[in-house]
Amino acid sequence: MSSITLGQYFPGNSLLHRLDPRFKIVLAILYITASFLCKNIWSFAALAISAVVLVLVSRIPVSIVLRGLRPILFIMLFTVVLNIFLTRGETLLVEFWVIRIYLEGILTAVSMVLRITVIIVGTGMFLTYTTTPIALTDGIERLLSPLKVFHLPVHEFAMMMTIALRFIPLLIEETEKIMAAQKARGADFSTGSLLQRAKALIPILVPLFVSAFRRADELAVAMECRCYRGGEGRTRMTVLHATAADWLMLAAVILFGASLVLINRFAPGFTL
Amino acid sequence: MNTLQLEHISYLYSAGTPYEMRALDNVSLTIRGGTVTGLIGHTGSGKSTLVQLLNGLNRPTEGRVLMDGVDIWEKPKEIARLRYRVGLVMQYPEYQLFEETVRADIAYGPKNMGLSPEEVEARVLEAAAFAGISPEMLDQSPFDLSGGQKRRAAIAGIMAMRPEVLVLDEPAAGLDPQGRDEILGGIRAYREKSGSTVIIVSHSMEDMARYCDELIVMADAKLFMQGSCEEIFSHPEELAAVGLDVPQITRVAQLLRKRGLALPESIYTVEQAAAALCRLMGGEGE
Amino acid sequence: MMEPFIQVENLSYAYEEEGARRPVLRDLSFAVEKGEYVAILGHNGSGKSTLAKLLNLILTPDSGKIVIAGREITDPNLTEDELYEVRRRMGMVFQNPDNQLVATVVEEDVAFGPENLGVPSEEIRQRVDEALALVGMQKYARHEPHRLSGGQKQRIAIAGIIAMLPDCIIFDESTAMLDPMGRRDVLRIMDNLNRERGITVLTITHYMNEAARADRVLVLNDGELYMQGTPAEIFSHPDELAAIGLDVPQCTDLVHQLRAAGIAVEGDCLTPAQCADAICAACAARGIPFNPPQS
Repeated sequence: MSSITLGQYFPGNSLLHRLDPRFKIVLAILYITASFLCKNIWSFAALAISAVVLVLVSRIPVSIVLRGLRPILFIMLFTVVLNIFLTRGETLLVEFWVIRIYLEGILTAVSMVLRITVIIVGTGMFLTYTTTPIALTDGIERLLSPLKVFHLPVHEFAMMMTIALRFIPLLIEETEKIMAAQKARGADFSTGSLLQRAKALIPILVPLFVSAFRRADELAVAMECRCYRGGEGRTRMTVLHATAADWLMLAAVILFGASLVLINRFAPGFTL
Repeated sequence: MNTLQLEHISYLYSAGTPYEMRALDNVSLTIRGGTVTGLIGHTGSGKSTLVQLLNGLNRPTEGRVLMDGVDIWEKPKEIARLRYRVGLVMQYPEYQLFEETVRADIAYGPKNMGLSPEEVEARVLEAAAFAGISPEMLDQSPFDLSGGQKRRAAIAGIMAMRPEVLVLDEPAAGLDPQGRDEILGGIRAYREKSGSTVIIVSHSMEDMARYCDELIVMADAKLFMQGSCEEIFSHPEELAAVGLDVPQITRVAQLLRKRGLALPESIYTVEQAAAALCRLMGGEGE
Repeated sequence: MMEPFIQVENLSYAYEEEGARRPVLRDLSFAVEKGEYVAILGHNGSGKSTLAKLLNLILTPDSGKIVIAGREITDPNLTEDELYEVRRRMGMVFQNPDNQLVATVVEEDVAFGPENLGVPSEEIRQRVDEALALVGMQKYARHEPHRLSGGQKQRIAIAGIIAMLPDCIIFDESTAMLDPMGRRDVLRIMDNLNRERGITVLTITHYMNEAARADRVLVLNDGELYMQGTPAEIFSHPDELAAIGLDVPQCTDLVHQLRAAGIAVEGDCLTPAQCADAICAACAARGIPFNPPQS
């Protein structure tokens, strides 16, 4: 009955949706790194435009992207206020009682907000909005697979992620069911002192843990029955193939980073 | 007494989101006090949502739930008290056990009601007897019981609140025939003693035919049929169309009638079939 | 005479519980032929599920012998590869579909078994598509399992086993949590796998109607073999079954009640059709008039 979707994946078939998840992870990292290269107002402008282009290419409705930014609105506001009121610079704009606002403060505030937005939008466009959690896990496993040489449990880590993704909605549903069952026996989770409320959680937590262990047990047996023996000798149904689009996108992001550096150096003014 | 009425009930899950789903759509029905009513329907037909409306776990999006003529949401702050009057045993209730002993677990509901320790103890013993929990079992950990015993302990936990209406969602699911009979027998004993109304949700048409006076059939969030077992089970095609069935014995009787044997329409238990055939074929007894 | 596909001899198994050993299976012996459809009946705790887990070596027996397709799997020298070969041959479908699906996409889950076996990618694709078609779930290949109904999830679980190309599938109360429609679908798939693909089916169940579909029924009681025979033979002993907490299908029950009332009804009467035939024959013998309805 419950309709919990994990993450923010937005189904679609845009260029970004179709990219190889391994490339998308690398692209996201490169793009975020590029955002830190911005030094003046022109490179920041280029960055802002690139973020808009990404959103357009992903064909994800702008309203959805904005909604994704809502949780960090507070952090952004906080940054803005802090920077505007506390940054000391040379160009004084406003002086009133103890408040002094400098141009540098405003510029820093704008650049911080832009940077945070780009990081969120960038990871969103390359990863969370356009890549299913399972493809993401798959991408991570394969990107990290060279580390197996050093006996790092890369496969096991990916398997854990997959199982977590599979079972989190189930456990949320289960929690709701247990809460309903105990409410039917007169449990009260919302009134009383903090201690009373903490105590009221026991009738939920005990059955939840019992059930989680039972599920884990049954799942382990079912996996063994399906010949699971760890990552060794395992093949995969879907083989990831890098396409021309993946390489082109990679080249584009690298070029973008390089051009930011050039803009910093050759376009004068408003250094931040 | 203990009559429940639903008036134009609709219930939406995740209202206002892309996942909005209408679990109940304009359902009106009456469950008469003192009856055993069966609730049947395919998965996702709205049965579970409906039972959670009866004891105020869900609040209807539209419409009213009346208990003895009074809207149960008239005073939302007192909804907890309604849950003691309408006891709900959820599906697989054994997974809600949490106390150290069976006794303490059965006592959880009565304690929440604020009863005196003596009263709680008396109710635990009474409920345990209904559910077939022996006195030795009361001091065991609920997690050491067998599957069927756990289920009975959980049901006792609701019976101990002495609800006027006892609602059970699939009380016998996954149990063997004996376990099933023990549970359904215990419910019958509770009803006979307390005179309460009983509502059972089940996928087993055979169990429904044996234990229920009235049946409510849900399909695709709507009330599909309501009536006696006789009335409902005389519509096999309609039931099949909504993913349900009639008891096996009813199908035998239908086949025999089709071949031309003079049998009554209303056969839904083996005993009825045997009696009718004995009359027809002139056997001894019955 | 070919040797049976599964041969179990003097199998015993006990759980360790707070220092004490609680016997679950006692000196159990039976055989299953290749391509047979066998139902295992028994009350809760009679050892049925333990038996299932011994047959694919999830558990190791305390004593006794299990031979599958000519190889003794209880042999202490069984190699690891042979162990996984046993698990591939003896697929298992459990009661709770939620607790046996691993992946968050249907087709990824079906691929899980073959992936573990190291099957080449293209072949996995082919097996997954075939398995999903066989259970009628192709349309849901890219869906998330947790949004499907119980019956649909169970069909995915079956597809995941079929994709490993097993010789035998053990269904451990696989219909117990399903609604009538889901149960019907799963039973139809079981019949299909047995009749058309020649897969040996062992089904553990509490539903007498389901046991009536099998070629043969094994009845367990407290870890011992209580009865075995065709469903007709087994269900002709209602009192013995009632004594161990089981019952008989309603059709069979009706015929027993009629016989007890002195009305001779011949035949097996496991299904409504058989039952109606037998009763009509008995009525005809008694000269009772038939007036078929005019339609």
